[in-house]
Amino acid sequence: MNIIIAAAAGGLSQTLHDTAETFGWNPWLFLSQVTSFVIVALLLRRFAYKPILAVLEERRRKIEEGQLNAEKIKKELAEAEKRYQEILAKANTDAQRMIDEARESAAHLSERKQQEAIAAAEQIIAKAREASAIEHERTMESLKRELGRLVVETTAKVTEKVLTPEDQRRLQEEAARQLA
Amino acid sequence: MRNRCFLLALVMLFCGCALATTALAAEAASGQGRHEPAVSLKPIPLVQIGKFAVTNSMLLIWIVAAGIIAFAQIATLNIKPIPSGIQNFWEWMVEGLYNFLEAIIGRELVRKTFWFFATIFIFILFVNWFGLIPGVGTIGWGHYDPNTGVFHIDRPLLRGGNADLNMTTAMAAIFFVLWLVWAIQAQGVGGFLKHLFAPKGETTGVLRVLMAVIFFMVGWLEVVSILFRPISLSFRLFGNIYAGESILEAMSTMVPLWLAWLPPIPFYFMEILVGVVQALVFMLLTAVFTMLIAQHDHGPDQAPV
Repeated sequence: MNIIIAAAAGGLSQTLHDTAETFGWNPWLFLSQVTSFVIVALLLRRFAYKPILAVLEERRRKIEEGQLNAEKIKKELAEAEKRYQEILAKANTDAQRMIDEARESAAHLSERKQQEAIAAAEQIIAKAREASAIEHERTMESLKRELGRLVVETTAKVTEKVLTPEDQRRLQEEAARQLA
Repeated sequence: MRNRCFLLALVMLFCGCALATTALAAEAASGQGRHEPAVSLKPIPLVQIGKFAVTNSMLLIWIVAAGIIAFAQIATLNIKPIPSGIQNFWEWMVEGLYNFLEAIIGRELVRKTFWFFATIFIFILFVNWFGLIPGVGTIGWGHYDPNTGVFHIDRPLLRGGNADLNMTTAMAAIFFVLWLVWAIQAQGVGGFLKHLFAPKGETTGVLRVLMAVIFFMVGWLEVVSILFRPISLSFRLFGNIYAGESILEAMSTMVPLWLAWLPPIPFYFMEILVGVVQALVFMLLTAVFTMLIAQHDHGPDQAPV
């Protein structure tokens, strides 16, 4: 209220002067404080905040980098998983195809071997039959010869005469004919 | 947006609390006599360099600044990736303040202005608290009064930094200059003038002309409001801190000398709180003023003065 009255009476500049005087404000002290505060603020900026802000910025950057790396790793893992699934699916398909091929091949081979075995068996049987026939023939020849000889010997003993080679041959042929 | 509303409400609450404190203190101080206040309103020049002077409040400011710088340097002497001890405390303080300001004024602006707002808050806070240490204002040169048997200090060596109007007006003036620079950097000269005087909202025809006239006149009110901001900022801080010192002085002189230590104790706790509140109010108001002028939308900007 006093200030308003004083302003009305003595003018604004006088009021301002009085107020400044009352509160101990003067331009040179004000400028001293401005200079002082600017210096203090710049010193605090350089020596108090800058080192710790650099640390905080570095940490923030590392965290962001870590998050980006984690995202990247996650993406790569998903891609690897996809690739793995693809490879697995392809391997399964290949394996199935190989199994089918092997089965088919085995079936073919089995068939072929069976045919070969059958052929070999038939061949063996044929050979055995041939050998048996030859043996039979040989045995029969031997038997015929032996029987002819026995018939000749028996006839000679029964008839008590010496048989001519012609008789012997005839008797042997007769016996062989009888045996056949 | 909700955060900003909450912060503005917080500012209002703190302002109310601070004003209540001031009123109480002023009432107590008035009991000491109108013409000779218990605590001098004027700082005492200790050293004169030409027309410039180093005052007792400036000396206290330098001591506090040196303390903060020394603490910060020790805290960052051996920086570890996982902080502990004082590095942890300093990181907590700076990072907490950074995130707090980032929530108010945005990421881009905080990168540019953090150094100033951090200085405002940390510096005002510790200057306020340092001023409460016994010895500040009571150690210095004086005279012995044979009538009362008490030694009176005429020229205290140290004075509460923010109990000096020169200091608070200096901070407010520096903020005003920086605010102007940041505003022009953000908006350009044309954008800055448009922000003040141009009509807001979508109107056409006669209404548009009417709105242009109204907003032009409102712009001048805004200019006056802006010009008064440094005054309100500096007097608010000075008033609160000076009133705090006065109330502590008044409390210690209202009882016999042997009991003088007792009455100020509850008020010391209050002054510790006032120190935080005033630092926060000054920082929040300056940050909000900066945010309001630097933002690019054209919403209503009813700023507290």
